[in-house]
Amino acid sequence: MFYREAGQYKTTYAADMAIFPIRQDRYGLALILLIAFVAIPAFGNQFLINTMMIPFLILSLAAIGLNLLTGYTGLLSLGTGAFMGVGAYACYKLETFFPQVNILVWIVVSGFVSALVGVAFGLPSLRIKGFYLAVATLAAQFFLEWCFARVPWLVNYNDSGAIEVPSETLFGLSVTGPTATPVTRYLVVLTIVAAMAWIASNIVHGRIGRMWMAVRDMDIAAELIGIRLLRAKLLAFAVSSFYVGVAGAMMVFLWLGAAEAEAFNIDLSFQILFMIIIGGLGSIVGAFFGATIIHLLPIALRALPAMVGLSIDAARIDQLTFMITGILIIVFLIAEPHGLARLWQTAKQKLRVWPFPY
Amino acid sequence: MSGEILLSVDDVSLSFGGVRAIADVSFDIRKGEVRAIIGPNGAGKTSMLNVVNGFYHPQKGEITYRGRTRARMKPHEAAEQGIARTFQNVALFKGMTTLDNIMTGRSLRMKRNIFWQALRHGPALDEEIKHRRVCEEIIDFLQIEHIRKTPVGALPYGLQKRVELGRALAMEPELLLLDEPMAGMNLEEKEDMSRFIVEANRLRGATIALIEHDMGVVMDLSDRVVVLEYGRKIADGVPDMVKSDQKVIDAYLGAGR
Repeated sequence: MFYREAGQYKTTYAADMAIFPIRQDRYGLALILLIAFVAIPAFGNQFLINTMMIPFLILSLAAIGLNLLTGYTGLLSLGTGAFMGVGAYACYKLETFFPQVNILVWIVVSGFVSALVGVAFGLPSLRIKGFYLAVATLAAQFFLEWCFARVPWLVNYNDSGAIEVPSETLFGLSVTGPTATPVTRYLVVLTIVAAMAWIASNIVHGRIGRMWMAVRDMDIAAELIGIRLLRAKLLAFAVSSFYVGVAGAMMVFLWLGAAEAEAFNIDLSFQILFMIIIGGLGSIVGAFFGATIIHLLPIALRALPAMVGLSIDAARIDQLTFMITGILIIVFLIAEPHGLARLWQTAKQKLRVWPFPY
Repeated sequence: MSGEILLSVDDVSLSFGGVRAIADVSFDIRKGEVRAIIGPNGAGKTSMLNVVNGFYHPQKGEITYRGRTRARMKPHEAAEQGIARTFQNVALFKGMTTLDNIMTGRSLRMKRNIFWQALRHGPALDEEIKHRRVCEEIIDFLQIEHIRKTPVGALPYGLQKRVELGRALAMEPELLLLDEPMAGMNLEEKEDMSRFIVEANRLRGATIALIEHDMGVVMDLSDRVVVLEYGRKIADGVPDMVKSDQKVIDAYLGAGR
């Protein structure tokens, strides 16, 4: 009823090619941004911001990164956790070497370091595909994880073997470390994630996005059109690792505050991979859906019994949460194997013509 | 019709292990003509196209394109030199819309780098619109306006073939290689496709090399025909001459062997 595009005529190609061509979508996005930038910082409590929103945004960004590689270019990677680690450790090293430089600069620069490492491990992708490439990225995961744990230089010969975040300020406001308030960190994370999601959506709607999807769908035909496969794949590895690296740096500097090598293990890689599978391969909004299901849903489930006044002991709630999350994932995947993003598309399509079937 | 020679194939042989796919074949394609390659199944027609656009590297022989003899060439280099191609079994990008598929054909002509792409404003958007305009012309020409935003995986086969032709035309190729563009089509679809091929040739100035099994179509469309059998060339010439060639008749009817 409310979601109609009747009367919205597009008279230019620019209007037709806009990323949100329908007016209601633009209003919806504006509303979401308003809630995220104004309502949540103003009314959200510590739990909502620190435990739910900050990790949600950071994991979404990592999922966008992996989606560029796996969903758009069709290259399966199991090394996401390690590439997040590269971003985190790079940011730590840079920050401790040059503490006078603004931390936000180092978060972005550590993305470039991660991109370089990603390109190096992406080189075999010209020769191997599918599961075999996944195994090659698995090697990257284990090798990098070993480096994080065994190369003391990376943690500045720290006895604890962990990286700890120093306090840093931005325009006189504490951004990282124990003195930073959750709201400040949340706003920094939100700004970076919103900007990078916008950039990712621009890239996938342009020449480069089409090039990646062409490589994914039919690499032989892509080559015949003049696309250089190695270059396209390495670019995908670079951009994807950049996103993942920035997410990793933010994970340590703006969320956890300290991390050991285990924080970037294969579990994290799988977590991000599940996010994009459930959210929808080849979709930017799908990354956010996936992070909602994998990160926010268990938290909501855990809080549910207390809210309705049931007293179940904590261990049992944990078990139940795992089971229910697992069941819901299976249900979603049976309902729509292409992920929640596709479900969302179908729902919007239905809404456009409601109450008629087509 | 008898323009200068655009592509010439000299004494090309290609074998896979012990199997000889092409044996000492020579022929040429002149600028502006429609050149058909025909022959029974397994005669080496598709292999010949694969040699021309760089998928296979022949063991023997030379290929001269636009006066330049080349040794090994990669498929994307062939694309850069203006050779486009459609496939026997449609090779579209199934997850993308018709428009995106055709826009992908413009990839080589789009120059803005990733930093402009990331902004999608100013020069990157101008470029996108400029190429969109070209693609819309092709969409008009092929009469596929109604499926512009449909993912091609969901389209019927006849339309997929048309979109694939559109993608090849978007490259504005000098030489267009069509591998059985009418396979599996009904009469009406064949007539449409023939019209598109003729117009692509006459109006858009593409030289066309065509593999096709429908003899009626081949004889009507092509200026010259080369006939292959078991990897060898058995006839070469204008359609009327080829049609009455005894070796060709034998190859097709199986007589005299």
